[in-house]
Amino acid sequence: MLNTAIRRHAPFWLSIAAGIAIWEIAGRSTSQAFMVPFSVTIRALWQLMLTGEFIRQFADSSELFLTGFILALIVGMPTGMLLARVRVLRIGVEPYIMILYATPMVALIPFILSMMGFGFAPKVLVVFLFAVFPVIYNTVEGARSIKPELIEVAHSFRSTEWALWRDVMVPYTLPYAMTGVRQAIGRALVGMIAAEFFLSSTGLGQLIMTASQNFDTAGVFASVLVIALIGVALMRAGLAIEQHFARWRQ
Amino acid sequence: MNSSISVAAAPVASAKPAASRLPGTFWPRFIVGVVLVLGWEFIVRWLAPPYVAKPSTVLMAIPRVIVDPVFLTATGSTLAAVAEGLAIALVFGTVFGLFLGRSRLFERSVGHYVNGFFAMPMVVVLPLFSLWFGYSPATRIATIIFAAIFSIVMNVADGARAVPREYLEVSRAYRANKMSVLFGVVLPASMPYLLAGFRLAAGRALIGAVIAEFFLSIGGLGYYILYNSRSYKHAEAFVGVLLLAAFGVCFELLVFWATKRFMPWYRRER
Repeated sequence: MLNTAIRRHAPFWLSIAAGIAIWEIAGRSTSQAFMVPFSVTIRALWQLMLTGEFIRQFADSSELFLTGFILALIVGMPTGMLLARVRVLRIGVEPYIMILYATPMVALIPFILSMMGFGFAPKVLVVFLFAVFPVIYNTVEGARSIKPELIEVAHSFRSTEWALWRDVMVPYTLPYAMTGVRQAIGRALVGMIAAEFFLSSTGLGQLIMTASQNFDTAGVFASVLVIALIGVALMRAGLAIEQHFARWRQ
Repeated sequence: MNSSISVAAAPVASAKPAASRLPGTFWPRFIVGVVLVLGWEFIVRWLAPPYVAKPSTVLMAIPRVIVDPVFLTATGSTLAAVAEGLAIALVFGTVFGLFLGRSRLFERSVGHYVNGFFAMPMVVVLPLFSLWFGYSPATRIATIIFAAIFSIVMNVADGARAVPREYLEVSRAYRANKMSVLFGVVLPASMPYLLAGFRLAAGRALIGAVIAEFFLSIGGLGYYILYNSRSYKHAEAFVGVLLLAAFGVCFELLVFWATKRFMPWYRRER
C-alpha cells in the first residue's frame, strides 16, 4: 500500500526536487541581477507574506478575477444557449463570435484605457472580454450538436418551452460550455495580469511591476512563482470541472 | 493526466465556407452584421466623445493608414517576429512533444513543468524577459516563443500518445530504429494534433507579440495601436486592431483548410 504510493509519487517529487536543484545551482552561478536561487526566492516570498503585502495584493487580484469571470459566465452561458435555441440568430451571429474569439483582445486595452481611465470597471471589462468569448463559442458549438430529434420528440410530447430548456438544452450544452469555462479560466488570468500591468497597477501585477522597477529580482521571481502556481491550480480546477461534466456527453 | 480530453486542443472552428454561399445563411449573417455596425455607429455618436472610433471614421481612416509607411513597417515588424517565433516554437515544440509523448520517463520527469508553463499566464514573464534580454526585439521573440511553444508541445505529445498500436508493432516487426519510428511513423500520425496545437499557438503568439510591444514600447503593430490611441487617434489605431483580428481569423481558416485538404479522413468531434 505504502509501497505503491511511493512508487507512484516518487518520480513526481524527484523531478520537482531536481528542478529546484537546477534552479538553485543556476541562480548561484549567475549574477543576482539576472536570476536568484530558489532559496532566495522563497525568502523574498516569506518577507512579502510577513508584511501582509502579499495577502492584500492577492485579495485585490482575486476580486478582479472573480468579478470579471463570473460576469463572463452570467453573460456568456445564457447568450450561448439562446443562440442554441434560436437557429436563425445562431446562424447570423456565429461568424462574428468566431471572429471575436480569434481576435487578440489585448489590442483593445489601449482603447479601454483612454475611454474609461484607471478605475476598477475598466479592468473588470478587460477580464470579461478575455473570458466571455470562449464560453459563448463553446456553448454554441455544443448547441450545434444537439440532435434535432431530441427537440422534435420534446415538441411532440407538447413539452413547454421551460421544460425543453431544463431537460434538453441545458443538460446537452453544459458539457461543452464547461470546455469554454476551462478555456475562460486561463484567459481570464491572462486578462487579469494584463489589466494590472497596463491599466492602473494593482494586485499581483503591481507586485511584479514594483519589484522589476526596483531591480528587485528576488521579488520578481517570487511573484512569478506564485502566479505560476495559481495558474496551475486554476487549470487543474478547470479540468476537474470539465471532466465532471464530460460524463454527461454521450 | 492520461485522460482522453486533451488539455490544449480547442475545437477546430467548424465554420463551413461553402455554406455561407447558401441563401439560408447569408441573409441572417448580413442582417446581424448591419445591425452590429449601425448599432456601434449610433451608440458611439450619441454617448461617446468624438474621438472614439466608430465604423464611419474607421472606414475613412483605412485608405490613409494602409499607405502610411509607419503602419506598414510596424505591421511587417510584428508579422516577421510572429513568423520567426512560431517557426522556432514549431520545430522545437514538435521534437520535444514527440519525445514527451513516447517516452514514459521523460513524461514523468518534465511533464509537470510543461503543464505548469502552459498554465502560466504569459504576461508575467515579460518583466523577467526584459531583464534578461533588455528592452529589445529579442525579448519580443522570446515572449512569442514562450507563448506559443507549450501548446504545440502538449498537443504533439497528446498526438504521439494516441498513435495506433498497430503502426508501432509493424515498425517494430520491420526492425525500424527508434528515430525513424519517431519521425517517420509517430510524427505523421499525430499531424492533426500538431495542427490543432499550431492553431492555438498562432493565436497565443499574436497576443504575445502585442503584449510585448505594449510593455517594451518597441516598434510594431501593438505599439502602433498604443501610440495612436494615446494621442486620441482611435480610428487609426482601430485599423490596427482590425488587421490583428484578420490575422487571427486567417490562421484559423488556414488550419481549418489544411485539416480538410490534407487530412480529409480526420474529423474532430469536439
